[in-house]
Amino acid sequence: MFKRFLKKPIGYKLSTIWLVFVVFLAIFRDLLPGPEWDESTEALGVGPFSPGHFFGTTQDGFDVLAGIINGARLSVLVAVTSVLIGGGIGAFIGITCAYFRGKYDRVVNVAFNMMLSIPNLVLSLALISVLAATKDGVPASDARKVGVMILSLIIVIIPILGRIARSATLQWSTREFIIASKSMGTKDMTIITKHIVPNVAPAILAIGFFAVGVVIIVEGSLSILGIGIAGGASWGSMLAIGRSYLEFSPWETYFPVACIAFTVLSTNYFGDYVRAQLDKRESKI
Amino acid sequence: MSPVLKLTDLSVSFATPRGNLRAVREVNIELNAGESLGVVGESGSGKTVLSRATMGLLPRTATRTGTVEFQGDDISGYDAKQVRDLWGTGMAMIFQDPMTALNPVRRIGDQLTESLIVRQGMDKKAAREKALALLQRVRIPDPQAMMRKFPYQLSGGMRQRIMIAIAVSCNPTMLFADEPTTALDVTVQAQVLELLSELRKEFNMAMILVTHDLGVVAGHTDKIAVMYAGDVVEYAPTRELFANMKMPYTEALLKSIPRLETPTGTRLPVIEGRLPDPTKDEPGCPFANRCPYVTDKCRAEKPPLTDGGNGHYYRCWFPIGGGQ
Repeated sequence: MFKRFLKKPIGYKLSTIWLVFVVFLAIFRDLLPGPEWDESTEALGVGPFSPGHFFGTTQDGFDVLAGIINGARLSVLVAVTSVLIGGGIGAFIGITCAYFRGKYDRVVNVAFNMMLSIPNLVLSLALISVLAATKDGVPASDARKVGVMILSLIIVIIPILGRIARSATLQWSTREFIIASKSMGTKDMTIITKHIVPNVAPAILAIGFFAVGVVIIVEGSLSILGIGIAGGASWGSMLAIGRSYLEFSPWETYFPVACIAFTVLSTNYFGDYVRAQLDKRESKI
Repeated sequence: MSPVLKLTDLSVSFATPRGNLRAVREVNIELNAGESLGVVGESGSGKTVLSRATMGLLPRTATRTGTVEFQGDDISGYDAKQVRDLWGTGMAMIFQDPMTALNPVRRIGDQLTESLIVRQGMDKKAAREKALALLQRVRIPDPQAMMRKFPYQLSGGMRQRIMIAIAVSCNPTMLFADEPTTALDVTVQAQVLELLSELRKEFNMAMILVTHDLGVVAGHTDKIAVMYAGDVVEYAPTRELFANMKMPYTEALLKSIPRLETPTGTRLPVIEGRLPDPTKDEPGCPFANRCPYVTDKCRAEKPPLTDGGNGHYYRCWFPIGGGQ
């Protein structure tokens, strides 16, 4: 398996290594050595590569490396859960409405268009400020904020992946092999799971990976706007704090930005690669 | 014995922006068990629509009138579930293009066992054994390896054999073959037709063979229906049709088949002109403006289907060799 991996293109190797690394950080955060991410140290605004603080510290004395490791968990959690749930619902709706057509398809189409017409940042903003509002001077708990953020991202993702699934299904559902399978008396649900899903899966997976990147960016944007997770608990949140000190300690911003950028690039590349690999058709020869 | 299939006044029309397109017009056909019928005609004559309408595989825009009786039951009023129960085990279809009629991302074995598992309730192992036997029956070399292959790894002839294996897997009473050899080259065509004839006799299936090639149906059918512009214009036992051709259209079709004995450099005879607009209902014989023997009567009045004896029916005012 390792030998086969070595033969893959360099972009695939890098993106796989990076994604595995990020997921590893997210899972094993607590077992890693090093300073706590939320405990201030004596060293305020120390530059990178200084002893004890490899990525330096923030102006408030928090270790940047520890912050990055800790931030991976929330970024991955938010991105993966919202894409899995939103993508699953979207793909199911998209595939079934393209297969059965009729009234159901028309209603879904209008709903998707309405959802897509609202800019996703505005939608997330509205949901978070309503559902996770500060009540009587008490801010909502972080867990609640994360929950609402995931919910809003799910709502953003459903129409995006639903559309992709719908158009891919439309392309395949009138093909002769679907009619041929029907003519053998196969049930609709069997046709969908056995014949449509394998054909539309590459397109949905590619966009799904792409969506993971988008979600990480949206999460960062929300933090910068001040309504995301506070206190540097995610990469976006670190960025939100760091940008005020850009002229004094730019590393505070650079490292989380680099992490976001690598992750987004990796998911995009990985998605593309997976799609190409799953494509078992004539065009490959 | 009642016929396996009986079509009575079967008509199909499509709602199009330009008006009602009448693809099949009041077709009457009877077919007994084990019998095979060739449906011949040029592109757009309604052959494919006729076979799909009989099965009930029409798109939503189509309306079907008339009745279809299958094994004595009128199936024209069946709902989606009843029709689905009939498909595969009662009627099955082989499609024109084996390149598109197999799912490109699933292995041959999975596609072949699918209907055996879903329709016959076989377990995986039994279905696999049956599939291997089927592959052997349609003369696929090394069936074990074939089960694991994807469609793109096979030639057209192989794919069509797989399609045939899938179609006969549930022992249907009635098989529709919609231009099964059009996408194949000539040497493979003969093998595939031979295979179809063998299987038909073996399983005592009735078969409708749709094609635009009179040569294809000649050796493999008991009866022939020649279609033109949605009408059956000539309907006769195969022997009778070739011995005693009545329709100028059938004659023209036969003339336009290339022959080995014609000297090189001779132009291939073609049927001049085009099919009439199927959305318009013009008076007269639809073949009138292409017919070499046309008269004023042909342009004014559409000929009825006439019984010429010996089970030979034709739709012409002035049949070749004279009428009754």
